[in-house]
Amino acid sequence: MTRILIVEDEQHIADGLRFNLEAEGYEAVVARDGEQALELLLKERTAFEVVVLDVMLPGKDGFTVAAELRAAGQFVPILMLTARGRPEDVLRGFESGADDYLPKPFELAILMARLRGLQRRRRWNERDVEVPESTPETYSFEGRTLDFGAMEVRAHGKSYRLTQMECDLLKYLVRNAGQAVSRGTILEDVWGLHESTDTRAIDNFIVRLRRYLEDRPASPKILLTVRGVGYKFVSQEALKSS
Amino acid sequence: MTRRQKAIAFFVALCVLLVAATVSLNIGWVIANAGRITPIIFGVVLFALIIAGLIVYTVFLVLEIKRNEEHDSFINAVTHELKTPIASIRLYLETLQSREVSDARRREFYDIMLADADRLHHTVDQVLKAGVVRERQKAGVRGPVDVAALTDECVGLAILRHHLNSGAIELDAPRDRALTVNGDAEELRTVVTNLLDNAVKYSGSSVHVTVSVAAPAPDTVWVRVQDRGIGIPRKQLKRIFNRFYRVQARGLRNIKGTGLGLYIVRSIARAHGGRVFAQSEGEGRGATFTLELPRLITQ
Repeated sequence: MTRILIVEDEQHIADGLRFNLEAEGYEAVVARDGEQALELLLKERTAFEVVVLDVMLPGKDGFTVAAELRAAGQFVPILMLTARGRPEDVLRGFESGADDYLPKPFELAILMARLRGLQRRRRWNERDVEVPESTPETYSFEGRTLDFGAMEVRAHGKSYRLTQMECDLLKYLVRNAGQAVSRGTILEDVWGLHESTDTRAIDNFIVRLRRYLEDRPASPKILLTVRGVGYKFVSQEALKSS
Repeated sequence: MTRRQKAIAFFVALCVLLVAATVSLNIGWVIANAGRITPIIFGVVLFALIIAGLIVYTVFLVLEIKRNEEHDSFINAVTHELKTPIASIRLYLETLQSREVSDARRREFYDIMLADADRLHHTVDQVLKAGVVRERQKAGVRGPVDVAALTDECVGLAILRHHLNSGAIELDAPRDRALTVNGDAEELRTVVTNLLDNAVKYSGSSVHVTVSVAAPAPDTVWVRVQDRGIGIPRKQLKRIFNRFYRVQARGLRNIKGTGLGLYIVRSIARAHGGRVFAQSEGEGRGATFTLELPRLITQ
């Protein structure tokens, strides 16, 4: 279960947040001041996915808590939730190590969306760390070489530069070779765009990638369209066996 | 060191330097005019004036910087005191609107929202009253007010509002004679309520407050509020009545406020021709606040 730490000395707000987080299926833990939060995160090393941090706390304020966490190498995502909404406060929040800043009073739905955003980013970061193991820097098939490090595709003596988005998409397709990948996944997990973005944008990308990968882009053999779902990269092995 | 502390250090250092320069100039003047009385006296007086001016200037500058700092912390405190209950009420309203909530929980949420609305009202009230008492030096509508009855009423309300046991605040008032003052009942109620609120607020979890109404002299009435709370450092006993001033000591980090309550108390006491003072044996040993008002003698 996803565990979230609420650092808040105002009982009412802490209870209200806990009720809502639990209703959404999170496990919520409340710390009443900065020291208690530091104790939980640094001494007891309790794992939290996100920390919701108030600024005006008794004793150590939220800025200090965030800075101490970062100094100690604890990089849990922090969302600062505070009544102090002046630009200099927001700046100070980010300087001290917060990942997001939301002034009180806040809208519940927006707070929840931001918490989800922080978790999503965290999961991506974790996956990015795994990438070097699961995706090789280069990938060759049928006289073509995909070079993710140099961000280019070399084919029959020609080379095509890839943009960052093309490169990310190709990497993702290669990693999931043989499996259909939905347009929504491509938008959210590969590019970090909202799912309601026009999915036809992807089709244009696929058309471009086919020019680099296919002998005859009009009748693709490698980058296939899966009707009603999305796309599929047919792996080298699959090609050989067919 | 904060930016303000740096500014203060800079101006004090500048003042010391300038005073030193002036003093050495003065000595030079005295030596140069050795034997001539009139220029020496004239010079020394002028130099003394310059030095005094420098010091006065620096003192005022430093005071102003400090006042600015208090004002800033006031703005932060009021922002917090206004926005926190609004955020809380909003949070619970949105929760009620968007989730399935059991009946018991719903009632609990209503109570929380009511408490937050009260808190908001209290803060707004304090800020407005502070503005009013600042503008007006004399009390408003005056009439004879029975201080004992008024205090009794305030004690009852404080017990209700802070959810205390009826024994937590003891009232000791004479029943045989009326202790009447000429004043504005509404304002005097504010004074006693503010004193009681502070006593409860700074008592922590175990509240033992004694309130006594007495006539220490035939022409004066005292309302004395005594708590066994965290006390006040001796040096701050006078300053706590200043606008925006809040006691600085360990152990009271949790207590929130605007720094206006005692300022309002003092302003109203003065407008009634009375005064208010604080006594404390120091940190951790409770505090006693005494409101002294001129008694209205009726034939």
